[in-house]
Amino acid sequence: MPEFMNNLGTISTVAAATTILTSASQAAEAVDDLIAKIKSPDDSVRGPAWQGAATAGAPAIKPLAGLMTDGNFEVARSARRAVWKIVRHAGSPATNRERQAVQTELLALLQDQPTPVRCEVLWMLSEIADENAVAPMAALLSDADTHEDARCALMRIPGKQVTKAFTNAFKTAPEDFKFALAETLRKRGETVKGYPSKKLTPTKQTTVGPSAKT
Amino acid sequence: MNNQRTKINRRRFLTVTGSALGAGSLGFPTLIPSRVLGAPGQPGANSQFVIGQIGTGGMGSTHLNNLLRFQKEGKVRLAAVCDCDDNRLEAAWGNTEQKATPYRDYRYVLERNDLDAVLIATPDHWHAVQTVHACQTGKHVYVEKPSSVTVREGQAMVQAARANKVAVQVGAQARTAKGAWQTCRAIRNGIVGKVSKVTCWHYDSPADNNPVPDSEPPEGLDWDLWLGPLPWRPYNRRYQPANFRWLMESGGGQIRDRGAHQFSTILWCMDADKQTSFTVEATGTVPTRGLWDTAIDMHAVFQFKNPDWTLEWGQPGQKLGKLEFGNVFWGEKGNLILEWEGGYKAANPEAQNFQMPPGGKEVYRTDEYEDFNMNHKADWFKSIREGHLRPAVDIEIAHRTATLCNLANMSMILGRKLVWNGDKQEVVGDAAANRLLSKPQRYPYCL
Repeated sequence: MPEFMNNLGTISTVAAATTILTSASQAAEAVDDLIAKIKSPDDSVRGPAWQGAATAGAPAIKPLAGLMTDGNFEVARSARRAVWKIVRHAGSPATNRERQAVQTELLALLQDQPTPVRCEVLWMLSEIADENAVAPMAALLSDADTHEDARCALMRIPGKQVTKAFTNAFKTAPEDFKFALAETLRKRGETVKGYPSKKLTPTKQTTVGPSAKT
Repeated sequence: MNNQRTKINRRRFLTVTGSALGAGSLGFPTLIPSRVLGAPGQPGANSQFVIGQIGTGGMGSTHLNNLLRFQKEGKVRLAAVCDCDDNRLEAAWGNTEQKATPYRDYRYVLERNDLDAVLIATPDHWHAVQTVHACQTGKHVYVEKPSSVTVREGQAMVQAARANKVAVQVGAQARTAKGAWQTCRAIRNGIVGKVSKVTCWHYDSPADNNPVPDSEPPEGLDWDLWLGPLPWRPYNRRYQPANFRWLMESGGGQIRDRGAHQFSTILWCMDADKQTSFTVEATGTVPTRGLWDTAIDMHAVFQFKNPDWTLEWGQPGQKLGKLEFGNVFWGEKGNLILEWEGGYKAANPEAQNFQMPPGGKEVYRTDEYEDFNMNHKADWFKSIREGHLRPAVDIEIAHRTATLCNLANMSMILGRKLVWNGDKQEVVGDAAANRLLSKPQRYPYCL
């Protein structure tokens, strides 16, 4: 092979690496830019930033999650809405790689984020998660702060793995949560002894009226 | 289990007492649903419907006034009022001269075996759960529009109505209103020829320009019960009072509010209740800040096939009429405008004066009251009395209308066009969109 061809090969490898580094660096810059705008106190900066966040993709999720409990409720809300935009874009047909990348980032948030963030993330996963997400989501069925959101989110995911997760959770669940799990399992065609439905059982008393009991 | 027990008890009650109690038992009217006095499952022609109202604020106050008027006319006995906000409940109870029993929890109302029916005027996210539960306890239902917030809820409502043999009327009143009826018969009988397009114009929805932080709920409001099926979150004044409409979860914006009226009228005029498949592509602008997340302005295009026609929702859209919102039927011989949805406003003079052509096909509507809110309820009562249980806006019709509203919102939030297969009740080739056809509900406030 002529020497210039070897050189060309080296040059093209370097060029490719440079392109990757450049695009990675551009992506990082784009995320930084998005985060800076989401932090802005100016609605006209922050608003369009979250509204246009759909294509920011998986790399933006963790930094945005860090703002989802920001002390400024408008910043927190904008961060949440930006993540929702990313999730819904990732759920488009023919974007499976993006969906998987987003799912991976969301699952990581279930480990270490405050309860309101974990609950919101569970609902995000409910829209795009596949069977690989079932076990980490089901782990939150044993956490009293998240178990109802986890139950609801899992209900949207098809497949026997979810039913199995509910069955396992039922075995160790606190008594009051067993009623909800029993209802869920019955809906999935499973037989559950005891724990009858409470859907039509009234519990809330009014203070209005002569008896003010019911 | 409780549900089954309730149903069996009620049926047993109806069977046993309905045949055993004769005229001599009329000394106990408060314990007897009106249908006992007629044939089984069919109240007598002169019987008085015993009704409970669930949800008394907003449009609920109009319904309450209607029911009190029916009561004055001897057609109804309002036996229960229910609201999760004691402040509103107190006011409603006062309006009944403290004769109806007040409840906070709607399930107490459903437990009562002396009620024939319930009227539900709660925020949208409650409609399906309360309707299905009411059907399961054997009660006829009048429920505010839109019928549901998801497609699967709508399907469950239809199934519950049919399985329990009750009438479910949805409050899209235009189908019993004179203005919409005049427009309907004119369009169906060719006033503008074959219609290829219907456009809607509508003013913009509000943005939350005064966002506030979460706080404790006001005294008297049972926030847990207000949320009901929705995931729990702290109270915020921008949900309640009065603002539920501007949240996607609880209200769905103007397209699910006014759209439920306008689309219902349009489908009626186009004779398209059975045309259940379509494509929808929607875009909209959601406020940059604040709690409210429904579109301020929105454009949605629905394409129907066989026959082919297009339905366009526009905020603001192309305003051809004089009022805040309305519709234009575009035909091969011109166009016909319908201001609002043909309920509160009169039909266009051309429709009012339309002469039925030879061989023309008349359109039926109940015509007992000039006030279309009253007339719509009269139509519901009539469907029960006559035993056919298919009022003008039967739940199946309303479900189809709500599907248009809900899928437009879905298309907007997903940012893509959706192809809807009405036979299969699913979006074609879009797994993520299909997951949004249901929203799992918080226990025990669930279907």
